[in-house]
Amino acid sequence: MIQVEGLTKYYGNFKAIDSLSFYIDAGEVVGFLGPNGAGKTTTMRILTGFMPPNEGTATIAGYDVLDQPLEARQRVGYLPESVPLYKEMTVWQYVDYVAKLYNMRNPIRANRVDEVLDQVGMIDRADSLISSLSKGMRQRVGLAQALVHEPDVLVLDEPTIGLDPGQVREFRELIQQVGKEHTVLLSTHILSEVEQVCDRVLIIHNGQIVAEDRPDALSARLQGSHRFKVKVGNAKPEAIAEVIGGLPGVINVTSTDDGVEVLSEEEQDTRPAVAAAIVGKKWDLLELRPLDMSLEEIFLELTTNDRQTYEEEG
Amino acid sequence: MQFFKVIGRSLRSIGIVFSHEFNLFFTSPIVYLIGSVWLFLAGGFFALSLSAINTGQYEPDMLGMFSPMVFLMIFMAPALTMRLVAEEYRNGTNELLYTAPVRDWEVIFAKWLAVWAVFSVFMLISFVYPLILFSRGNPDPGLIITGYLGLWLMAGATLALGVFASSLTQYQLVAFFVTMGTLLVLWLAQQLTYIITSPKITPVLAEISLVSHYQNLVSRAIIDPIDVGYFVGIITVFLFLATQMLSTRRWSS
Ligand SMILES: Nc1ncnc2c1ncn2[C@@H]1O[C@H](COP(=O)(O)OP(=O)(O)OP(=O)(O)O)[C@@H](O)[C@H]1O
Ligand SMILES: [Mg+2]
Repeated sequence: MIQVEGLTKYYGNFKAIDSLSFYIDAGEVVGFLGPNGAGKTTTMRILTGFMPPNEGTATIAGYDVLDQPLEARQRVGYLPESVPLYKEMTVWQYVDYVAKLYNMRNPIRANRVDEVLDQVGMIDRADSLISSLSKGMRQRVGLAQALVHEPDVLVLDEPTIGLDPGQVREFRELIQQVGKEHTVLLSTHILSEVEQVCDRVLIIHNGQIVAEDRPDALSARLQGSHRFKVKVGNAKPEAIAEVIGGLPGVINVTSTDDGVEVLSEEEQDTRPAVAAAIVGKKWDLLELRPLDMSLEEIFLELTTNDRQTYEEEG
Repeated sequence: MQFFKVIGRSLRSIGIVFSHEFNLFFTSPIVYLIGSVWLFLAGGFFALSLSAINTGQYEPDMLGMFSPMVFLMIFMAPALTMRLVAEEYRNGTNELLYTAPVRDWEVIFAKWLAVWAVFSVFMLISFVYPLILFSRGNPDPGLIITGYLGLWLMAGATLALGVFASSLTQYQLVAFFVTMGTLLVLWLAQQLTYIITSPKITPVLAEISLVSHYQNLVSRAIIDPIDVGYFVGIITVFLFLATQMLSTRRWSS
């Protein structure tokens, strides 16, 4: 449904994305995960026909975004990072205007506007001026605008940013529901968001895709068992390190102020063995907690891991 | 067949953006303010023509109203157009509009058409002035028709310049001053023709000047294709440049 090959984009001399290639199947919900400045928005702007790439091609449903821009754009619904709203219009007028731009005709159009406003839970505010809406409501109207012409592909750029936790949850549920019927590409820098709503995740860093995986596999790889913290009541960190360090599957143990941090091999859950060893020593196990990685750590980890495998293979 | 389909689609896109832009004008009080001031000033100039009738010195005409209109346009064109494109960039709605299946030239053309239509509404209201004239005297209808045609075309040209200036920036004020400055220079170029009497420069200044082509239409009761062509040319050039600007800004946005 989305095919991207060798996409490169410069801002002046700065290379924002660097020969990016990926493929997204019809019906997939794919997360674009990356830190600030990774190139997520740039890629999405190329896919939606907002800006042309310097090199490479992107096709949407078989239409090249450069050669057949109108056909490609007709098939994309886009919610940009900052929701593009005309504040002087009412919610209904606005969504209707976008539907017109996407070549929808009455009477289908009017019904569809009602339907999509109902879907995003804004139908009772249909006649409110957009300037009177809260941030969360504006985000919903933005989603309605992207959905109204029933696009094949939905591109959502950080759709939950700036929402309060309750709204984030509701909005993710909305995206999940939408994802059942559409191909969705959404960008985020929140790992848990990807886990919740995506079938697959593309990790982008410095304009390049550094990893691609199912979100559950990714998070198992990144947090879960493989890096965790151990806190023990009555033993010195050095003593603990000595005991745990020898266990099979443990790569490294580092002392911290109040315990140790254990790094183990990816496939192996060493937590039961570590717990057993500590209890066997009659120490008090106070805490055994998987460590969440920050996004930066994840990228560091992924990029260095990739280099290792590359060196091993090479 | 394919040709008519493409034309039909463009007309539809233009119609959609046009009616959106046209309606948007009337959501803001500014357009009512500009319209009132313009009609008030036009009425003031017109009153001078009336007093000429009363003294019985001249044939009644509307030159008194038309002549200063080009000067008023120096301020009115930037005020009406500054918002048109700049604000889309400012609000981020350009990301909506330029990812929709409409072409850049359709957007620009529709925006210009909308602001020209707003001006046309003002102009229609000002038709009461010639009606008064006809009820009071026996003016030359040809002169009034070419006068209004000249005013309409001159407005179209200055508004096209304004649309272009608005496509350069996200700051309305910058757009305002670019349009006003350019029009002021063009206006001054005309004033120079009174000062510079060189046989080489004067005709050139007159030929490029908005004012002389406008004066030709307004004061002679003749529709010279050169004058009409001049304004149509200006409109085309600036709308083309504005479209190019949109495409250029896509590269670096
Ligand atoms: N208009 C621009 N001019 C110059 N550089 C730009 C422009 N837009 C983006 N960049 C640069 O390109 C890089 C990628 O930006 P992009 O907006 O695609 O990142 P992102 O992944 O969307 O980040 P974020 O999570 O902050 O939204 C950044 O280093 C940014 O500074
Ligand atoms: Mg971004």
